[in-house]
Formats: sequence, structure tokens, C-alpha cells
Amino acid sequence: MFTSNPFADITVFLPPHVMQTYIGLMIFAVAVGTLADMLHKSSAKFFLRQWKKSKAAATRRVSGAETASLAVRTVLKEVITSGEFCNPMRRISHLLMFYGFLTYLTTTVVMIFVYPTAATPTIWPLLWNIGAVMVLIGGYWFFFFLRVNVAKEGHSPFRLVRADLFIVSLLASVTFALIWETVQTAGNLTATQIAFGVYILFTTVLFVGVPWSKFAHMFYKPAAAFQKRVEEANGSSNLPRPADVNNIVR
Amino acid sequence: MPTFVYMTRCDGCGQCVDICPSDIMHIDKTYRRAYNIEPNFCWECYSCVKACPQHAIDVRGYADFAPLGHSVRVLREEEKGSISWKIKYRDGRVKEFTFPIRTTPWGSIQSPSDYAVPDANALGSVMLAHEPEALKVKTLPTLPPKKKV
Repeated sequence: MFTSNPFADITVFLPPHVMQTYIGLMIFAVAVGTLADMLHKSSAKFFLRQWKKSKAAATRRVSGAETASLAVRTVLKEVITSGEFCNPMRRISHLLMFYGFLTYLTTTVVMIFVYPTAATPTIWPLLWNIGAVMVLIGGYWFFFFLRVNVAKEGHSPFRLVRADLFIVSLLASVTFALIWETVQTAGNLTATQIAFGVYILFTTVLFVGVPWSKFAHMFYKPAAAFQKRVEEANGSSNLPRPADVNNIVR
Repeated sequence: MPTFVYMTRCDGCGQCVDICPSDIMHIDKTYRRAYNIEPNFCWECYSCVKACPQHAIDVRGYADFAPLGHSVRVLREEEKGSISWKIKYRDGRVKEFTFPIRTTPWGSIQSPSDYAVPDANALGSVMLAHEPEALKVKTLPTLPPKKKV
């Protein structure tokens, strides 16, 4: 079950080029959705304005090499290791979802485009399943226990708001992907078609819902983190300097 | 002088929701970031500004009476037990202050529930709960009993 390409088995009712076209449409939807989101919120304008303000208020010049080093540090801390989270539980959950989703997405594209038939190296379906399980562990942990409106506001985890569009569609998509894989392995064609249909429905919501969900945070959060580092480096940050005395008596 | 949140910096940790004495810091339903639901009721206590680990909360005066261009920023360093302020005036002057806020490690103070439940007879004592041992002294000075006339 975990070692066979689930997308190769659906070719009995869906030709491979249909799934390939679907992937192309989803990539297009994400690109258009992100652009629409940026235009609607004027995020690019905001960061450009902040950049100019920071440059005007700078007390020291940051060289090109230093800027590159700040960019590398932002990638290493904020992007690759989700270092901006102060709560270690949220950081672990986010890393599970982030790397799980990347693995799941990459292997999906590889299995659909490179190996559309059953002759697929075992590693790809195995990685697809591992990625899906990582998303589900991190995602359900976040959904039921770590979501700030649940953990801090005391709301029921089942009280859904628009901010939940991304996490709910992601969890539903990945959950139904595994359900579809299971019923497909069991050999029930009708159940396979239903589960696959639901999987496609939630996957479409996930990618087409980009302008209404928080999917775009993948792009603006690193930009904000980089901006903060540049402000600290060029002296334009309006935060006080760190104290030079430690008052804690140990 | 209500608080506001820089949405790009907020990571939705909810520490401001926990600490706000006026219960006006809540979580936005669209972006899951903190926001001030009722600026008129803000006490300007700076609790959320100090507690925010991302320095995403700021305070601004109403434009009709507060001078524009000023800023009051704060940095709480738990590991150093200090709090620093940077005051920027409208004419460009900047003043910075640092104050000690505690000498014991952050999180080391016991909460009331960590202590044993006091005996009912303690109600007759002039001491407060867990005094004097919680104050780390042997005895506390007390007034001599009143002389009977």
C-alpha cells in the first residue's frame, strides 16, 4: 500500500494527462491567487515603503555583503527552521507541516509527471506517505491544541473562522488522500472514485482559496523578518538597545 | 493612546491575549493575528507591548491631540531582568532608559496554587498566607497586643 504509486492506479478511470493538466491549473491558481492577494493588500507597496523609511532613518550604511549575510541568516532561521516562533510546540508543529507538505507536494508532482504508470520506484510513494503523515501529525496537533483561538481564547476547536480555511483544506486534502489510497488498495472502485473526488475537491479549495486563506504568509513572513534584521543592522529600528547589565542574581 | 498590532510581525502566539487586563486584545478571525478589539477601553498599561516576543505591538496617540512623529518603544529582556525604553520626541530628540525589574530568574516565582493549602486556624493570625517563610525571613515585626484598660 505504501510502496505503490496511487496516481498510477487511478488511470483505470482517469487518463494521466487529466491529472497533469490539473496540476498545471493548480500552479496557475496559486500564482494568480498570490498576485491578487499582493495587489489587494498592497503588500509589495508596504514593504517598499518600509524599505525606503528604513533607509532614510539609517544611522549606518549596510554593505551589499552584509545585506546578503542578513538574507542568508533569515533563510536559515526564519524560513528553514521556523525560528520566529517563541512557542517550541508551535515551532515543531509548523516544521512538521512545512517539511511534510513540501515532501508530499514534490512527490505528488514527480509521481504524476515522471512516473504516470505503475513502474514507480518505491521511494516516491513511500516519501509521499511519510510527507502526508507528517502534515497530519503537525496539522491535527495544531488544529486541536495549538491554534491560538483555541489555546488562548478558549474557543472550541470546531468553531471555524475564515483564518481556518488554509489549515482545514490542507488537513482535509491530505486526510482524504490517505483514505483514497487505502480504499484503492482494498479494490473498491466506487469507494475509490468517491474518496478521490473528495480529495480533489479539498485540494482545489486549498490552492484556489489562496486569496482568501493565509497561504500568502509563505511569502510575506520572510520579507518581514528580513526587513526587521536590516532595520537592526542599519540602526533605523525604533526599539531600545539591549541592556548592558544583567540584574538576575543566581 | 490605544495599542495596535503590526500584522506582518505578529505570529499569533496569544501572549497579549493572556496578559491584557482589559481583555481587549483578541485574535482576528481572518488572519489569526492579535488585534485591539476596543481601542477606547485601552488602559495604556503597556502590558501587551512588553509581553510581545515579536515586538509587534505599539501604542499611538489619537491624531487629534497627540503629536505626530513621536514614539515610545519598550524592550523587555527576561534573561537580564531589565526593561528598556526609547522615547522619541516630535522634535527628533531621543532618550533611552533601562530599569531593573527583578533579580530572580524569570518564571521562578511560585504561583499561589504551588503552596500548601493553609490551615483554617491561620485566619486568626495577623500574617498573610505563607508569611513569613514565603518572604524568606524568620519573623516579621508585629504590633504589641493592646493593653487591657
